Amino acid sequence: MSQANYDLSDRLAALRGRAQSFRNAQRSYIPSEMSYLILVPTLRCNLACSYCQVSRVAERASGFDWSEETLNSVLEFIQNLRVPRLKVEFQGGEPLLALSLLKRVREFCRANLADVEFVICTNLQSISQEAFEFLSHADVTISTSFDGTQDLHRKQRMSSDEEMQGFLSNVRRILARYGPNKLSALPTLDPRCLPSADELLDGFFEWGMSSIFLRPVANYGFARKAHDAQVISDNWYQFHQEVVTEMIQRNFQKGTHFEDYYLSLCLRRMLRSDVNGHVDLRNPNLLGKDYIVIDYDGTFYPTDEARMLTRTGQIDLSVGHVSGGVDQNKLNTLNAYSSNFGDPDCDSCRHQAYCGRDVVDDLSRYGRIDLPRSETEFCKRHLYLFGLMEDLLESPDPAVHHSLALWAGIPDWDPILSKVTQ
Amino acid sequence: MIALRLAAKGHLEGETLVARLVTTHKDDRVSFLGRDYQLTSQEGAWAYYSRDDHAIALRGKAEDLDGDVIMLPPNASSAHRLIRANSQHNSLLITEQCDQLCVMCSQPPKTKHTDMFAAFMLACVMAPQDAVIGITGGEPMLYKEQLFALLLQVHAERPDLTFHVLTNAQHFEPEDVETLKSPAFNNVLWAIPVFAAAPEVHDRIVGKAGAFEQLLKTFDLLSHTFAQIEIRTVVMQSNQAHLAALADFLTTYIPFASQWSIMQMEKIGYGRMNWRKEFFDTSTDFAMTARALCIAHGRGLDARLFNFPLCTVPSAYQRYAVASISDWKCKFEDFCEGCGLRDQCGGFFEWYDVESGFETIGYYE
Repeated sequence: MSQANYDLSDRLAALRGRAQSFRNAQRSYIPSEMSYLILVPTLRCNLACSYCQVSRVAERASGFDWSEETLNSVLEFIQNLRVPRLKVEFQGGEPLLALSLLKRVREFCRANLADVEFVICTNLQSISQEAFEFLSHADVTISTSFDGTQDLHRKQRMSSDEEMQGFLSNVRRILARYGPNKLSALPTLDPRCLPSADELLDGFFEWGMSSIFLRPVANYGFARKAHDAQVISDNWYQFHQEVVTEMIQRNFQKGTHFEDYYLSLCLRRMLRSDVNGHVDLRNPNLLGKDYIVIDYDGTFYPTDEARMLTRTGQIDLSVGHVSGGVDQNKLNTLNAYSSNFGDPDCDSCRHQAYCGRDVVDDLSRYGRIDLPRSETEFCKRHLYLFGLMEDLLESPDPAVHHSLALWAGIPDWDPILSKVTQ
Repeated sequence: MIALRLAAKGHLEGETLVARLVTTHKDDRVSFLGRDYQLTSQEGAWAYYSRDDHAIALRGKAEDLDGDVIMLPPNASSAHRLIRANSQHNSLLITEQCDQLCVMCSQPPKTKHTDMFAAFMLACVMAPQDAVIGITGGEPMLYKEQLFALLLQVHAERPDLTFHVLTNAQHFEPEDVETLKSPAFNNVLWAIPVFAAAPEVHDRIVGKAGAFEQLLKTFDLLSHTFAQIEIRTVVMQSNQAHLAALADFLTTYIPFASQWSIMQMEKIGYGRMNWRKEFFDTSTDFAMTARALCIAHGRGLDARLFNFPLCTVPSAYQRYAVASISDWKCKFEDFCEGCGLRDQCGGFFEWYDVESGFETIGYYE
């Protein structure tokens, strides 16, 4: 090797090291300010789904809405954030049962923030004319639950056919008036009672929706009492793979744009080092920095899951009260374990760079966070997802390439992209 | 074409005049410099301006010149329009000297150099609010000391301005790192050409042995600063086959670059001389350019097409094309009349020639 070549390869190696450091730093994402608030103005709900994840009380129960004092503290909290833009998600219970609170928050935000959007998580069960007017504004999007097929939805959530018709007619009304971008639908799938891949995709396609967050019934809140979801069953993985395979075929043959939202996120995190926007998958996964939950009684929680765990009495994960501020000490304790760096299992795992950590998930399943990583569901689930993605990346099938390009957001797939740069 | 020089009369003696033209009296933070020349009358093609008892005339319409900064040497018959207030494409030509000889260079280097930093400094300070000012050459970093001083001093006066410096990146030294960490450089975007990741291909195109290796040194050095970096690549016959490998290289080795400009050739200067040898017709073979775009975007590098008329780009890739050609050297052809893409299209260079240009081109429904 000539001297000149030797110098060049030295230089390349040095630059590669710098590039690696840059990518590591970019992936070690530390949010700079609050950008997302999850507000629970009421716990009251007009449905009683068997696996309710968002702990609820009866529609006419009293004492489960924000008091005037709590509302004012919430508005003051928003004011003091001093951020130019914010996304506000209304959760419940059924938030539309507390419409007057929603309106006051919205008016306040519009008056005090340059750029604000609202997401209403509603069961779309009964929408008053006034609520419909509230939803119609351009800065509002709607998130609802749809269990993939009407049969399953009816069975899992509804107590009568009339209820089901109410839900369906509200969905149709919104889709007809605003198109599919106004509404997103999250399926809650029970591994013991899954639809077929075809049925699921047909159901979403009918509504003009192609991005589906495939997730099994969660292990939070009241979900845990009724369902044995502590272990995500093999059923689920088999089902997931069938759905993904069917998505790939349909995308290639019928020109649809189906994706599993979370699998696409995994792909983008493997390909790029700047995908840190999703709170379910990042490293470190710092709590209480860029989003926080305020419950019906003004209590802060780092995540909606933490709120449910606390409510079911498993562990107290509250982090302060909106009248007195965030409990930084408690957050710091949780955040001390927010990274997968330094964990012996993770440090030897080839997926470490783009994987993440979820302390609350560990607590909910095991009541502890010191289990060997490789024994946690979080780890098993992500090993499966990244493994599936690696298989897809290695596939020579043009149908697979077609979907990979769709999911990565580019016109065509390129074989060079199958080589993942860490 | 918009004039960068204006016929002038009236400035007979004294120093080179650097002045701001104003139609009505202004009282802003620039006026205190005492360099505002106010419109007195428009007589036919000539606009007359004065300050105290000194009068000058410029050939042009006052409404087009309002807020412009001009440079007028004594007894000269024309003025440089250093800053055009209504344009997004202002640039300062630091020098015409260069240490590279790129095959597609649109502005071939000259040996002579005239130092105009003092005028440039004034022009920047008088520029409109939030202006982006291009710094070009030749190779502006041949006068690195003066250039850094200009950027630092202007930033102290006008932190709202940002600079877009076109440099071959052959002149950064380790001792510059501390300077580059100054906040003034947060407002600087360095536009650095890389033609291929194969050293011999890049070196041949820029006409300088060892240029690629020097680039590697520079990128290593810039990685220790917060420098904003744009990579520029002109697509040509001699590098087009290397585009996918270049995309792989940039995304693997230079992830701190924030954008990649993939450009079509400009038929002027050496670009005209070497047109037949180097023009690569992306309208008939877009495959490699497409791969470059997919690899870059897949890995998060924002790659854009510059100087690609939309009708030459497959529809799935048109979203990456930027209407980029500077206002003063942009034109549309007769067949563009009524084209459905005209509003989003960047058009053609003034010196584009249909006969020797793209084969698959023309009107879109």
